[in-house]
Amino acid sequence: MSGGLAQGIFAALASPRLGEKLILHIPVAGTYIDIDIITIIMSWVVMAVIIGIALVLRRSLRQPVDEKPSRGQMLLETTLDFLKAQLAGNFSDETLARLLFPFVSTLFLFVLVSNWIAVIPYFQSPTSDLNVTLSFALLVTFLSQLYAVRMNGVRRYLKGFIEPYPFLLPLNIVGEIAKPLSHSFRLFGNMFGGAAMLTILYMFAVTSVGWPLIVNAFYGLFEGVIQAFVFAILAVAYINVAVENQ
Amino acid sequence: MLQQAQQVVNGISGADIVTMAKYIGAGIAMGLGAIGPGIGEGIAAAHTVDAMARQPEMEGALLRTMVIGQAISESTGIYSLLIAIVLIFVAK
Amino acid sequence: MELVWGKIVKSINWTFVANLVNFALLLYLMERFLYKPALKYLDRRRDRVAAHMEAARKSQEEAEQLAAQRREALQQAHDQARITVDEARAHAEEIIVAAKKDAKRAAERIIEIARRELAKERTEMEAELRRAYAELAVMGAARVLDREVKLEDHRKLLDELLAEVDAEAADLQS
Repeated sequence: MSGGLAQGIFAALASPRLGEKLILHIPVAGTYIDIDIITIIMSWVVMAVIIGIALVLRRSLRQPVDEKPSRGQMLLETTLDFLKAQLAGNFSDETLARLLFPFVSTLFLFVLVSNWIAVIPYFQSPTSDLNVTLSFALLVTFLSQLYAVRMNGVRRYLKGFIEPYPFLLPLNIVGEIAKPLSHSFRLFGNMFGGAAMLTILYMFAVTSVGWPLIVNAFYGLFEGVIQAFVFAILAVAYINVAVENQ
Repeated sequence: MLQQAQQVVNGISGADIVTMAKYIGAGIAMGLGAIGPGIGEGIAAAHTVDAMARQPEMEGALLRTMVIGQAISESTGIYSLLIAIVLIFVAK
Repeated sequence: MELVWGKIVKSINWTFVANLVNFALLLYLMERFLYKPALKYLDRRRDRVAAHMEAARKSQEEAEQLAAQRREALQQAHDQARITVDEARAHAEEIIVAAKKDAKRAAERIIEIARRELAKERTEMEAELRRAYAELAVMGAARVLDREVKLEDHRKLLDELLAEVDAEAADLQS
């Protein structure tokens, strides 16, 4: 069984099929639990990379405070400063910024490393799976509604849906639903588009040499940074808008 | 030759036409849907560059605002992508 | 448990949940291993830097205060010196004025004494002159009268003559 699993995974990584995914089909209590095994494994790889870098950087914190900062410390500090200023700094509320800083930065780092990992041949980025992006987007939506209720109270939260006019209620609800959809599909579309283009390039003999690397570098590195930044900053903006307007 | 064409036409079923329509529809949706965001984001980027040239010290805030604005104007393109994906992979 | 190929959009499945679990785990680990220690470290260093800045600011303030004090002391010394010099000058002027006054007074006294002595000598000289006149007159008269005239007998005559001479001398003097 495990041999078959490993073989299937290697086959799926070596020759990804356009529009299809390898699904682990586990029967549980009369029904099935379907899990995209490639996505999960790649997520673990991403997590391992992030936590590994975090542990390495954390070692640089051992030196006393008064010493001149080491190289790792500088890197860590620059990263944290960037995350604080560019992402969490957009929160209108200071307590919200401090509270959600780990969430937003982890989201950004996860998406960034996920996008980058597709540069390595045979690696597929977890963000080219709709499950991942949609779960993140819905998590952001959930958090935004949660904090909107918590910061404003239930009455003002519900009142926010009939503003500025009561007949705009359906439009407001549709707007709230459209947010996670566009949020998740943006990242998924970009990453899946890159992966699909790569698969198509590998299909033809002429384009399978050299070109995939260039396309990969563009989609993985350049688009990866921009989309990760957009994803994280939109998460911040959605939570902000929900907290402020509701 | 006409006979051959007749044979081919006879071989086409309704499902084939649906498949063809799906792919054409997906292509149209994606192609037309990409025009709006492309122009819109280009305009946003151009004006941001103008603003940056005028006030270089505001670069960070401008970049952030530009990215958010572009992301929102990109939504229409994303919706057409959604439609295209639904057409290709979901529609029967 | 089996592997199948699934279509992508249809496959909104338990990967969704698994991903959320993954993300929660990652969030916990990152919070535990990176954010909390790093933020604590940064806070500690910020506090330390703030403390150093505060100390530097305080010492600079002290230095400024000291400099101000010194400047003030210098200013006071300058003022003191100026006052002293002014006082000395005033004193000197007083002394000069007093000395001038003294000198003037002394000079006046000397002049006065000189004048008085001059007057006395003159009076004496006039008296002597008078006597000489008298003798001359007596001798002249004796010669004119050609006889011995006793001084005592003609005292009255002589006194009259003297008074005339005096009057004449007074006329002359005035």
